[in-house]
Amino acid sequence: MSTYTNLYKHRLLVLLITASMFPLSAFADNKYEELKEQVEMLQKQLSQVQNVLKEYEKQSEDNSNEVKELKKEISETTNVANLQNEITAASEWRDPNTLIHMSGYADIGYSSEGDNFNIGTFAPIFHYQYRDLVMLEAELELEVDSAGETELALEYLTIDLFLGDYVTFVGGKFLSPIGQFRQNLHPSWINKIVSAPPGFGHDGAAPTSELGFQLRGGFELGKMNSNYAFYVSNGPELIAVEEDGEIELEGVIAEGLGSDVDNEKTFGGRLGFLPIPNLEIGFSIATGKATVTSLESEEEHEGKYAFQELLFGTLDEGETPDLHDEIARDYDVIGFDFSYRLKNFQLRGEYVKTKIGEATSGETASEGASWESWYTQASYLIPKSKWEPVIRYTDFTAPHSSVSQEQLALGVNYQFTSSVIGKATYEFNDGLSGALTDENRWLLQLAYGF
Amino acid sequence: MKNISKHRRNVIKLVAILVSLFYLTSINAQNYPEKGDFAKGAKAWSETCARCHNMRDPQDLRDDQWVTTAFHMRVRAGLTGQQTRDILTFLQESNNKAPKIVVTKTVASVEKSSGLTGEQVYMQTCIACHGGNGVGTVPGSPDFTSNDNPLSQSDEVLVKHIVEGFKTPGSPMAMPPKGGNSKLTTENVKAVVKYMKNTFKQ
Repeated sequence: MSTYTNLYKHRLLVLLITASMFPLSAFADNKYEELKEQVEMLQKQLSQVQNVLKEYEKQSEDNSNEVKELKKEISETTNVANLQNEITAASEWRDPNTLIHMSGYADIGYSSEGDNFNIGTFAPIFHYQYRDLVMLEAELELEVDSAGETELALEYLTIDLFLGDYVTFVGGKFLSPIGQFRQNLHPSWINKIVSAPPGFGHDGAAPTSELGFQLRGGFELGKMNSNYAFYVSNGPELIAVEEDGEIELEGVIAEGLGSDVDNEKTFGGRLGFLPIPNLEIGFSIATGKATVTSLESEEEHEGKYAFQELLFGTLDEGETPDLHDEIARDYDVIGFDFSYRLKNFQLRGEYVKTKIGEATSGETASEGASWESWYTQASYLIPKSKWEPVIRYTDFTAPHSSVSQEQLALGVNYQFTSSVIGKATYEFNDGLSGALTDENRWLLQLAYGF
Repeated sequence: MKNISKHRRNVIKLVAILVSLFYLTSINAQNYPEKGDFAKGAKAWSETCARCHNMRDPQDLRDDQWVTTAFHMRVRAGLTGQQTRDILTFLQESNNKAPKIVVTKTVASVEKSSGLTGEQVYMQTCIACHGGNGVGTVPGSPDFTSNDNPLSQSDEVLVKHIVEGFKTPGSPMAMPPKGGNSKLTTENVKAVVKYMKNTFKQ
C-alpha cells in the first residue's frame, strides 16, 4: 500500500513539472531570438570595425611607402649632391692647369768583373707641366761608387715649350739627339743588354748630352711619319795626353758642358723617317769646334814620374804653361741608325763617327783623331712566355788601342712586367791584350722603369 | 773687330730664332685638354711605343699621369701634337676598370643591332693591336689564324674577355676592357666576335 502511494506521488510530481515547463519553453525561444539578433548585429559591427581597421592599415601602409619613397628620394638627392661634389673634387685633382708627375728607372746588378754586386742607377725623372704649353723635365742620376760614396748628376734638365703641333722648343741640358741609343734607349729598363754598346757610353764615339736649345717634333709626309731634332749647343771639349814627348788626343767630353771656352757653338740634329710603321731610319750630323782644355802629361818629380793635368783657365802668376793658346779644332759627327720590328722580333743598329781636326799651333798641337763605333742588336720575345733572348755585336775603334773593343754580347731577359726586367748578359770582349777591354764578363741586372 | 762682327751675327741669329718662336706660339692649341681620335690613337700607340720600349699597359697609369707621360713621349719620340692627343685619348679611355658581366645569349643572330657592324668595330678598335690580317701587331697579341687561336673558344667566353679585358698567358700586357673603347656596347662586342670568327677562324 505504501509503495503504491509513493508511486502515485512521484507520477504527480512529474506531471506537475512537465506542465510547468510549457510556459518556460515559450519564454526561452523569445530570449534566443533576441540574443541571436544581438549577436548578428555585433558581428556586423565587428565586421565594420575590421573593415575600418583594414582601411586604416592600408592607409598607414601607403603612408609608410610614401615616407620610404620620400626618404629614398632625399637619399638619392643627397647621393647625387655628394657625387657631384666628388666629381668636382676629382676634376680638380685630374684636370688642374699644372700637373706634377715623377717617373724614372732604377737598377741593381752584379758583375763578374771584380765579383761584386752594385747599384747601377737610381734615376728619377720629374715632370712639371702647365696645360699643353710647357713642360719642365729633369732627370737625376744617383749612383754608388766602389768606395760606397753616392754620386749625383743631372742627366738632363729642359724646359719644353710646345709651340705648335709640329714643333717643340727644348732648352737646357738635353740628351744628345745624335742617333737613338743616348736619347731613347739607354735607360736600363729599355736597354736589352745590361751594358751600353762600347762607344755609346760616356766619353765614347757618340756625344751623350748638350747644353743649349733644340727644336724638335714630328710631321707627316703623305702617309709616312717623320721626326726631327735640330740643336745648337756649347759643344764639347777635348782631352789630350802627352806620352813619350808626343801629344795625342785622348777623348771628347761631350756631356752637356755649362761653358763654351772657345765661343764656338755646335750645330747638329737628326732626321728620322718611317717608310713603313715598323721601320725607322735616322740620319744624324753635328758640326762645330772643339778645343783641348785638359792635358795629361807625364812629368818627372823627385825621380818619379806622375801625370800632371793642365787645365784651361785663368793664368796664375808663375804658372806655366796653360792652354789659353789652344786653337779650336774642327768637330764633326755623323750617324746612321735604324730599327725594325715585326711583332715579337726586333732588329736595330746604329753607327756613329766623331772626327776631330788637327791643330798646328798651341801647347797641344797634334794631328786629328776619330772615334767610330757601330752595333747591331736582335731580340725575340718567345710567344706565350716572358723570356727574351738577345744578341748584340759592337765594333768600337778609338785612337788609343786600349779603348778600342770588339764585343759580342749574348743575353736572356725575363719580363716580370713590361717595365720590370731581369737580365743576364755574357760579353765576349776582344780588346788590347791585358786591358779590361779584353776580359769577358758576366753581367746580371734587375731593372725597373716606373 | 772680328769678335764684334761675330757677336753681331750671333745676336741676329738669336733674334731671328726668337721671332720665329713667338710666331709659332700663336698657333698653339688653346682649348686644352683637346680630345683626340680614339681609333687613330690606338693605331699610333701600337706603332710608336714599341719602337723603343716594351708596350706599357694602359692601366699602369691614371688619366693625369698619362697626360705628362704622353707629352714627355711627344718630345722624345717626335710625335705631332695631333698624334699625342690621339694616343692620350686612347690611353685615358683604356685604363678604366670594367664591371664583371655574365653573358648567356649566343651571338648567332646578332648583326647590326647597335648600328655598327662587326667589321666596323674591328676596324675602329681592334685592328691597332690585332692587325688587319688577325695575326697581331704588338708583342703578346694572339695570332687568330693559328691552329690554337683563342677564337676556338665559345662566344660567351670571348665576349666576356673582350668586355672585361683579358691578359693572354705569357703576354707582357693585357687587352683593356672593350679593347679600350668604352663606348662599345655588348651588342658591338657580340658583333665583332662574329666578324672575327667568320674572318679569321680556320
